[in-house]
Amino acid sequence: MKITTGMILFSCFGFLNGCATTPNELISARQAYSRASHGPAATLAPAELHKAKEALSKAEHSAADEPSSPRTRDLSYVAERSAQMAEVTASILSERAKVSQAGRDTQAIQGEIIHRAKMGMNEALAKLAAVKVEKRGLVITLSGSVLFPSNNASLLPSAKTRLDEIADALLEAKDRTLIVEGHADSQGSHRLNQALSQRRAEVVRSHLISRGYPAQNIEAHGIGKDRPIANNASAEGRANNRRVEIVVGPETR
Amino acid sequence: MRFAQRKIIPMSVLVGSIFIGCSTDLALKQNTESSTSAIRAAEELGATKIPNASYYLQLAKEELEGARELAANSKKVQATSLLWRANADAELAVLLSHEDVEKNEAKDAVNKVRQLQKDNQLSGH
Repeated sequence: MKITTGMILFSCFGFLNGCATTPNELISARQAYSRASHGPAATLAPAELHKAKEALSKAEHSAADEPSSPRTRDLSYVAERSAQMAEVTASILSERAKVSQAGRDTQAIQGEIIHRAKMGMNEALAKLAAVKVEKRGLVITLSGSVLFPSNNASLLPSAKTRLDEIADALLEAKDRTLIVEGHADSQGSHRLNQALSQRRAEVVRSHLISRGYPAQNIEAHGIGKDRPIANNASAEGRANNRRVEIVVGPETR
Repeated sequence: MRFAQRKIIPMSVLVGSIFIGCSTDLALKQNTESSTSAIRAAEELGATKIPNASYYLQLAKEELEGARELAANSKKVQATSLLWRANADAELAVLLSHEDVEKNEAKDAVNKVRQLQKDNQLSGH
């Protein structure tokens, strides 16, 4: 019993003696390093944490030789600051990551805004004309009989209103290329149909430019009777073949 | 031979003392320059206006001043040791100033994203 009590007293003395000889700076440095090594610095600032570990090790070695010397206190002080610097470095990197994330979020939002604008354009166009998505782009088909009188390349008054509405919808994405194609039915000579379809395509192009669409982004092509979409044997089929198609291509940028 | 030994030993002690003295002077000079430039860097980054950075900057300035006084009283070893503290405090002040700038930038960037989401009625990412 006496031996056990003696051992306890000896241990307590040893513990208290140890506490008394360990400078406060070293205790603070150990705590600071422990905090840093269990925090974000472990993953975000390993190099700085390693420096802090080395600084603490230097202080511990000095403490082993001369526990209360000014050198030990100063090295411990530096070790504590070193651990704090590792934590602050991790915090800086974390803030930079937030800025980068915000940049990515901004890009995603802007993409969403553009997507919505395009969707809005598609919906608006669908109300005005037949619209379909093909490999070459979004194809807006306007019936020739709605736009032009027979064998003529002058726009009908009602066609101008329709084209104005289409132009307004297209202006939502005016950085896209447009190809205006004039198509004819099989009646008449090839030369006549080719020339008429070219003129009609150019009239539609000019109208879109007059509404503000960039001229450099629109081309006009006369296709003639080469690409029918319906049977030319019937009057209905020929009416469907007489048409103007506006192909909305990719962005020019 | 004995005569030569008698001469060499004091000479070695003298050269050694000069060498140690020179290296202490060099360390003192280097640490003073390093602390001074770290203090200047912290000031240029606006540490005086950032509460926690200004605290460490103030400590660094006081330690640098203390080291100069010790050096003037020929206590070069203690002065060098105090300069370690000054350097560590000034470097921490520099980092804390950087942290403040980064925090403000991050806050602005996050607010801009929120505003953009709000203006366009988008849900958060």
